[in-house]
Formats: sequence, structure tokens, C-alpha cells
Amino acid sequence: MDRGDSKARFANVVIPHLDDAYSVARWVTGNRADAEDVVQEACLRAFRGIGGFTGGNGRAWVLTIVRNAAYDWLRKNRPPAVVHVDDLEAVERMRSADDAAPAPDNPEAALIARADEVKLEAAIASLPAIFRETLVLRDVQGLDYREIATITDVPIGTVMSRLARARRRVIEMLGAHR
Amino acid sequence: MTENDRLLLNAYIDGELDPAHMLEFEQRLAGDGPLADERARIEALRGAMRERLPRATASPELRRRVAALARPRPFAIDWGARRGLGAKWGAMAASIAVAFAVGSAATYLAIRGDRGEPDLLVSSHMRALMASQPVEVASSDRHTVKPWFNGKLPQSPRVIDLAAQGFPLAGGRIDVISLTPAPTLVYRARQHVISLTALPVSLRARGPIRPIDGYNVVEWTDGSLAYWAVSDLAAPELENFAKAFRAGDAEP
Repeated sequence: MDRGDSKARFANVVIPHLDDAYSVARWVTGNRADAEDVVQEACLRAFRGIGGFTGGNGRAWVLTIVRNAAYDWLRKNRPPAVVHVDDLEAVERMRSADDAAPAPDNPEAALIARADEVKLEAAIASLPAIFRETLVLRDVQGLDYREIATITDVPIGTVMSRLARARRRVIEMLGAHR
Repeated sequence: MTENDRLLLNAYIDGELDPAHMLEFEQRLAGDGPLADERARIEALRGAMRERLPRATASPELRRRVAALARPRPFAIDWGARRGLGAKWGAMAASIAVAFAVGSAATYLAIRGDRGEPDLLVSSHMRALMASQPVEVASSDRHTVKPWFNGKLPQSPRVIDLAAQGFPLAGGRIDVISLTPAPTLVYRARQHVISLTALPVSLRARGPIRPIDGYNVVEWTDGSLAYWAVSDLAAPELENFAKAFRAGDAEP
């Protein structure tokens, strides 16, 4: 593939998904400036790797690269944030340690529906990275399970259990901080 | 509630169960109070996230930096320099590069002009997606969008409200296709954008249209104009949009 082709393909495949890329990076890194660095790095990687894109779901391909770049960034800049991917028990332990206030397990749906933006963001931001990304890919970006499984490189069953746990935990937190 | 129930409930809410399990689970929900309560909580959370967490969008500055990578002609830009010289210099270099890119992209489109309308329409659609917003007049009100075209084009297109069908109007812009200024309506379908361009019938499709670079293209005519819809929506959904628009057109 010559350089001109790469540029054209990059423009076709990557640039239309820039908002999605930025949104995912912002949720993983937690702030705008770092998210921009991550997207820029991811776009460079995507540009170099565009010859390897075999067609199909361009958005999933781009978000996979963004997600990997974001994790590299986390590992480098926020090592404690990267929880070992399948150590769910550790995550559960962490949860009981950091919940100071007793949370009602089953708050009213109306209370959750009223949660304001700040509380909602804080609750989601406090999730371990792998849970946060699954929840965000599903409920903010609107991707289906198969796409999320591709992007996060886990089986669909893992996507299901992460999503269920992420939602449960956010619900509990929204119930706790009245 | 077992762990398995919880997974099924989430998959049910996300529409990921197959039809048989969907029905079966619906029946269980009807007779299981705690399960139904949990469903209400999850739906409430989804609703709150959808309403209160606006999707982040890439800043124009980031957009420019990334677009500079995809310019059709190489124009050396040292990515390392951003950190080395400080962000200000990087930003300045990027905007200078963009000024060049605009010129060369125009040339590029003109050279590609013989590839036919579908290519040009997809190019316009992509160009619009790369801009900070895909419309020049942003409004979901057809009574705002239609008059906006009046001052700019000899005839303004029919503007149809399709919000009820799941395709809210986002606004309009003017594209130039084969040297013809053409009104383009922009609709949304969930998070996808649909560009609907009206062209003279002389510029209608000359054969079957294949998807171009992942974008589907649908064309039809009402006798006086040829309508072209371009989107990354799945082909059947884009066909539904076309159907809805044609059905709306028939109303007085």
C-alpha cells in the first residue's frame, strides 16, 4: 500500500470515529488533556497499521486501538488503576474496603433516575477500569456485546458479567450517597 | 436473585437474548417482584446515563491534528515537536498544516471528479463528519431548516419531520456535487448521521450502487428530483429511512 492509499484509508476508516475514540479515551483516562494525547497516539498507531485493517467494522477496529493506547497510558501514568483483568474477587474486596457508608442494596428506581450528572460521573469514574470501560462502551457509546467483546478482547460471557457487576455497583453507589 | 438471573436480566435489557429466551424471560419477569424491581433500577440507570452524560466530542484542535495525518499529500509534520517545543508551537504548526491541507484536498476532489456521484456524495458526507458539525444550519425544526435554503438556492427541498420514525432532523447544509450546489438535509439515527442530498434528475443513479468505504448509499427519485441518502447505518435501516421519507413526501 503506498502512502497516498494509506492516507485515504485512514481518512475513511479512522476519522469518522474520532468522537467515539475521544469519548472512550476520556472515560478511561478521566480527563480531557490526557484523552487527547491518547487519541493522538492511537491515531498514529492506526495510521501505521491501516494496511492491516481488513475491512468490516471500522469503529470496533479504531476503538480497539484507542483502548489499547489508553491502557498503555494508564499503565505508565496510573499503575494502581490497572486491576488485573479477571481478578473479580480483588475488585469485590476493594469495594467493601472503600465503601464507608452502608449502601442500601436496592435503592428505588426513582432515586437512580434522579441522580445528577456529577454523582453519576463520580460513580462511574470510581469503577475499576475494566468495569468502567465495559459500562461506557455499552451505555454511553451504544455498542453491542459482540463489539465490546472484540474491543476488550474477552469472551462475550465476560462482557456480560462485567456489565452486570458495573451496573450493580453504580446502582448501589447512587443509593448510598443521598 | 442468582448470578445467572442477573446476567440474563442485563442481556434482556440490552436486547441481546435470542427471541425464544426473550419470551421466556419476559414471562419470568412478570411473576418475579425482585427481578422486576432490579430491571426498573437498571433501566433507570441507563436512562440517567443517556440523558445526563452527553457524549464527549473531539475538540476542533484534536480533529485538526488528526486530520493532518490524512492529508492526501505528505507535508512533513514532526509529531515529536509538540512536546519538544511546547504545545503552543505544536498547535501553530498544526493550523499552518491545515491551511495547506484545505487547498490540496480541494484539488484532490476535483481530480477525482470523474468517479461519479456516489463517490462525490460519500466524500461530502465524510467531509461533513470531519467538520466540527455536519450541518450549517442546526435545527430539528423543519420550519427553520427549509427557509434557510430559500435564500441560497433557487429551490429549497422538501423538509420532512421523521422524528416519530426514529430519524430526528439535525439540520441542513449545501454540498456541491458535479458543480451543482445541492441542498443536503441531515438526519440522525441513534448515533449515526444520514446525509440526504437532493439533485436534479439528470444526476440520478446510472446503475446499482455498491457501498463505498463502509458507507451505504440509497437513491430514489420523485420525478422532479433525485434523492441520495448516505450513511454508515446498516443497509436495511437506511432503506427504512428512505421509505419513511418517501411516505412523508406523499403527505400534503
